[in-house]
Amino acid sequence: MDLKHEDYPVPSDYFGVLWALSGINDLIILEHGSTGTCNFNAFNYMIMNRQSPKGKLFSSGMDEDDVVMGRDTKIKEAVAELDNEYRPKVIALVATGVTSVIGLDLQGIIEEIQPDTAARLISFSGGGFAGDYHVGIKEVFRSLTNNIIKEPRERKPCSVNIIGPTIDSFNANSDLAEIKRMLGLIGAEVNTVFTFSTDIDRIENLACASLNLVTRDIGIQAAEIMKERYGIPYYYGLPFGVKGSINWLNDIAAIMGLELKRSVLRSELQRYGFSILELVNFLQDLDHLKAAVSCPCEYALGLTTLLQDEWGIEPSLVSLPIWPEMPQIQSEFSRRKIGRMLVEPEGKMLSEAIRDINPHILFGNSYDLLMAENIPVKVHAAFPAFDHIYRYDGTPFVGFRGHAYLTETLINLLNQNPEVFRN
Amino acid sequence: MDSNKPEIMDKCLLLSELSEDSALTATAAAKYPGQHCSFRAVAGTVPLIKNSCALLLGPAICLYNAKLSMNMRSLTADPRPNNLLFVNYSQDDIIFGFHDKVREAILQAEEEHHPEVLFLITSCLQEIVGEDFDSCIDRIRPLVKAKLLIVHTENFTCEGAAPGVENMFKSLFLLMAPQPKEEKTINILGLWTSTARKTELANILRKNGIVIRNVIPSYCSPSELEKAPGVQLNLVLDQYALPLAKMMKERFGTEYIYCRKPYRPASIEKWYQEIAAALNIDLPSEIAELKRETEEMIIQARRNLSGKSCAVSGISGRTFDLAMLLSWLGVEPRVILLQTPLPEDRPDINELVASGVDPLIFRGDNSLQNEQLLRKLSPDMFLGAFDRKALSKMQIVPVVLSASYYKLGFESTIEVLRLLQEMSAGLEAMMYKEKILAEGV
Repeated sequence: MDLKHEDYPVPSDYFGVLWALSGINDLIILEHGSTGTCNFNAFNYMIMNRQSPKGKLFSSGMDEDDVVMGRDTKIKEAVAELDNEYRPKVIALVATGVTSVIGLDLQGIIEEIQPDTAARLISFSGGGFAGDYHVGIKEVFRSLTNNIIKEPRERKPCSVNIIGPTIDSFNANSDLAEIKRMLGLIGAEVNTVFTFSTDIDRIENLACASLNLVTRDIGIQAAEIMKERYGIPYYYGLPFGVKGSINWLNDIAAIMGLELKRSVLRSELQRYGFSILELVNFLQDLDHLKAAVSCPCEYALGLTTLLQDEWGIEPSLVSLPIWPEMPQIQSEFSRRKIGRMLVEPEGKMLSEAIRDINPHILFGNSYDLLMAENIPVKVHAAFPAFDHIYRYDGTPFVGFRGHAYLTETLINLLNQNPEVFRN
Repeated sequence: MDSNKPEIMDKCLLLSELSEDSALTATAAAKYPGQHCSFRAVAGTVPLIKNSCALLLGPAICLYNAKLSMNMRSLTADPRPNNLLFVNYSQDDIIFGFHDKVREAILQAEEEHHPEVLFLITSCLQEIVGEDFDSCIDRIRPLVKAKLLIVHTENFTCEGAAPGVENMFKSLFLLMAPQPKEEKTINILGLWTSTARKTELANILRKNGIVIRNVIPSYCSPSELEKAPGVQLNLVLDQYALPLAKMMKERFGTEYIYCRKPYRPASIEKWYQEIAAALNIDLPSEIAELKRETEEMIIQARRNLSGKSCAVSGISGRTFDLAMLLSWLGVEPRVILLQTPLPEDRPDINELVASGVDPLIFRGDNSLQNEQLLRKLSPDMFLGAFDRKALSKMQIVPVVLSASYYKLGFESTIEVLRLLQEMSAGLEAMMYKEKILAEGV
C-alpha cells in the first residue's frame, strides 16, 4: 500500500473540477457537502500562489438530515440565494464525497430548479471518486466545450485560444505573459485562456479563434471537440529554450499564415538568447553535471530539451506524475535516452531514485525538493508548490524570456553552490 | 425586516439580547468558508503526541487538504512533527468495505514507523458507510504492539469541530492508568503549543514548587500520559479538554479546575487565586507586582487607543473578558463575531452588559457576510484572524492576536496591548496601496 508520508495524497477529480472552474469570472461553484470540506479548501487554494476561493466557492452546509433523508432543501436554497445575490451567469453544482456516496442526483435537482433560476446550472458529480485531479479538469473542459461554446458569428484570423492552464498550473502568470508576448511577435493575439483567466462570454466565443494552442495534454480532448465541431486546428506544446521557441513560433506562424520576421527574431536573440557559456568562466565546467526533472510531461520535456540541447547537462532522471496522453511525447522521451524514466512513481520510489542518482540539480514540486535534502541546486518547477510563490509575471520558464530567466537562474544557483563545479 | 436599516443588521443581535440557550442564526444559505471540521482540527493536533503516528482515513478531499495544512504550518514558528500517514478511500472501498485496507495500513504503519500509539482518524465517509469500524479495530489490536486510538471526526452530524476535538482528548484517556497521587504536581489540559512550559503561568508555578507533569496535548508521550492521572490537579484551559478532565476525575479521582484564559488584570489575579487555592499554595507576591505593571501599561495604552472602535473574532479564552479590557482601554467593541456562545461565558457577558457595553453579536462563519457587516459598522480595528487584504480595502486595521495565544497570565494581556498599538510588518504599505485602489480612477 502506498501509505503517504513524506509525499502527498494526490488530489482527486473533485479538486480538478474546482480548479478548472475557478478561473471563470462570472461562474460560482456551489459544492454540496458539509462546511468543513469548503473551509478546508482555503488551504489548497492558498498553496497555489496564496489564492483564495472567497466569492467563488460556496457550500450548501449539508447536515445529518440531508445525509440520512437525502434532503435537498439546503442546496436549493443556496442556489436561489447565490442567483439573487451575486447574479452569476453560471452556477456549477459540485458533488463532494458525501454527495457521491448518498447518491444524490444533482442533475435531477437542476432539472427541477432551472426554470426558476436566472443563472445557468451545470453539475459535476464525480465527488472525488472518478480519478485524480486531471480527470476533474478534463471533465470541466469537456462540459464547457459541449455546453457553453456557441457557433461563431465570425472567425478572427489572428486570434488564438490557449487551452490548458487552470489555476493550479505552475508559473501560469509568467508563462502566459510570455506566450502572449511571443504571439504578438508574429501578429497574433489571444482570444481567451481556457480556463485560467476567462469568463462565460469568452468561453461562448471560443470558436471565434483561428487556432487553439494546447499547453497541457488534458486540453487535447477539448481541442479535438472544437476541431471536429468548428474546424479549429490545434497545436500542442510549450516553447522551451531558444531552438524550441523559434520552432514553436514558426509552427504557429505557418498554421496561421503569419511570419516570424528575421529582424524580430534577431532582436529577441540579442536580448534573451544568451547561451549558458556566456554566463560562466573558463574554470566553471558544466559537462559533469547531472539533473533530475520531476514535472508534468510538458514541462518535463521542455526542461529535458533545454538541459540536453542548450545547456549540455545530462538529465539523469525524469519523473512524470501521470502518463502523457500524446504518443509524440512518449516517443520524444524515448528518443532522448534519459538515464532513468519514472511514470506515476510512488513517493518512496522517486525518493530512492533521486538518492541513487544523486543529481546536482533537481526541478520538481515542493515535496520532491524537500525529499532531496542533499541536492545543491533545487528549482521549483511543478505543482504543488506550497512553499513557493510565483505570482509575479516576470519569471517565465517558456519562450525566449523563459530561456533567459532559467539560464541565469541556474547559473546563479550553481554559483551559490560552487562545490558542484568540483564534483 | 426594518426597512430603515440594511438587511445584514437584521442578522445581528445585541449582546444583551443573547439568551442562554440561543444559537446564532445562520447568515447565509450558501456558506463560505463555514466552520472548519474536526478532521482538520484533529489532524493538526495528534502530531503533538510524541512517539505516535496517525492514520488519516478518508477520501482524497480530506487527505490532501490535511497534508497541505500541515505543510503550511511547517513554514511557521509552530511547526508540527510529521507523523501523519494517509489512507485514501476509493469507490471500491465504499462498495466492498474498508476493513482489509485499514488492517493492511495499520500493519504497514507498525512495521515501517514503529509508533507507540497509532491514532486512527476517521472522516465523514467512514461514518456514512456505516461499517462497524470500532469492532474491526478491536480485531486488529492483538496483532500490533502500538496502542490503537480511534478518533471519530464526522462533520455532517455537527457544524463545528468541537465533538471531534473532544473525541481526540477522550481517546488519550485509554493511555492512562491508575497512579498514586503526587502532591504539588499538575497537568495543563487544552494548550496547543511547544512553548507551554515557558509561559508565565508555568514559570510562576515552577517557582512555587509545582511540577508540570504534562501539557496535554502538547508534546507529551504515551508513557507520560499513562502517569497523568497521578497529579494533584488538572488545570483545564479550554472547553475541548473538559470531557477528558471529567473522565479522569470519575475514573481516577484526579481533581480539576476549569479556568479559561482571562484578559483583565483583576480577572487574571482571580484566575491565579483560584489555581493557588486548588493547589493549596499561597498566592505568590509577584502576582501583585505583575498586576500593577500591567495596569500601568493599560493606562499608557489608553492614551493611544482611546476613542477607537473594533470588531472581535476568534479569540482564545474568555472573549467577553477581553471585550471588557478593550472597553477599559477606551476601545468600543462594535461587534463580536462568534460561532457558538458558551454557557461559561455568561458571567462575563452579564458583567459587560451591566457596565453599559452592549456590542452586536454576529455569527462569524461566512466571510462575505462578515465583510458586508464590517463595511456597515466601519470599526477602526479588527481583532482576530481575518483576510488582511479585505480589511485593508475597508481601511480597517487588522490586529492578529495569535502571538498572545501562546502566553498565559499577565504576559498575554501585555502582548495584546503591544499588538493593539503596533502595526504588523508590511501592513502600512498594504493599507496605503488599498486606499489608492479604493479611490478608483
